Amino acid sequence: MNPVACPAPRRLASFALASVPGSERVALAQVADSVADLNLTPRRLDKLKTAVAEATMNAIEHGNGNRPDLAVDIEVFYSGTEIIVTITDHGGHGGPGWADDGAEIPDLDRKLSGDQGPRGWGLFLIRHMVDGMEVTAEGENRTVQLTIRT
Amino acid sequence: MDKSMSSMVVRMADGFTSVIDITGDVTAASEPALMAAYEEASRQGARRLVLNFSGLEYMNSGGIGMLVTLLVRANRQHRPLAAYGLSDHYQEIFELTRLDEAIGIYDDEPSALGG
Repeated sequence: MNPVACPAPRRLASFALASVPGSERVALAQVADSVADLNLTPRRLDKLKTAVAEATMNAIEHGNGNRPDLAVDIEVFYSGTEIIVTITDHGGHGGPGWADDGAEIPDLDRKLSGDQGPRGWGLFLIRHMVDGMEVTAEGENRTVQLTIRT
Repeated sequence: MDKSMSSMVVRMADGFTSVIDITGDVTAASEPALMAAYEEASRQGARRLVLNFSGLEYMNSGGIGMLVTLLVRANRQHRPLAAYGLSDHYQEIFELTRLDEAIGIYDDEPSALGG
């Protein structure tokens, strides 16, 4: 019996944004537009938008160091069952960086007591908004891939 | 209003509660405006603060961090915080971060004021 080949995911969007504050708003809007025909529930769409915005913000701040001359590249794909969004920075920091599994987990009690700083919620939110997250690094580029089932 | 901006308007709702009506985005950039609103509420003599999120368009992790900073200040001054007007999505984020354990979440202003 011949196995049925899975078709490659269909690319829905590809764009680049400058690494400046506010670009994450553009990213979430463009990703939302690109998946408009997929009939995501409003809740799923909100989760996707939040995850994309947070990952883009981190790529801008921690990946590209807020350098306007470095772009964040974003692509959106649809496999038939999953939406896949890739966010790539070019800051050359190597490794998982801000997306490291070993990053400290934010704890509200510790933040209120001053044991942790008040920020640091981005990766935590991403992981709770998507079904999968993978990080790859090659040369100057680090790519975060977010997967959300439709 | 610029999509990246927020508006924070303070009003006295009853004898000891001030409401901060939040419109637009809540991000790290909102911190000066929110802290100024908190100071205004303090000047009004508020013993309790209610955050009205009905006009919220977008909140990110920076905004969450800013709310934590506000909580630290309010706790230090023994001013309980409450909130209403959150969408289902942002209510879920409050639950994930456990902010809902530190900030009373209500469906509307009358219940927030009575809470």
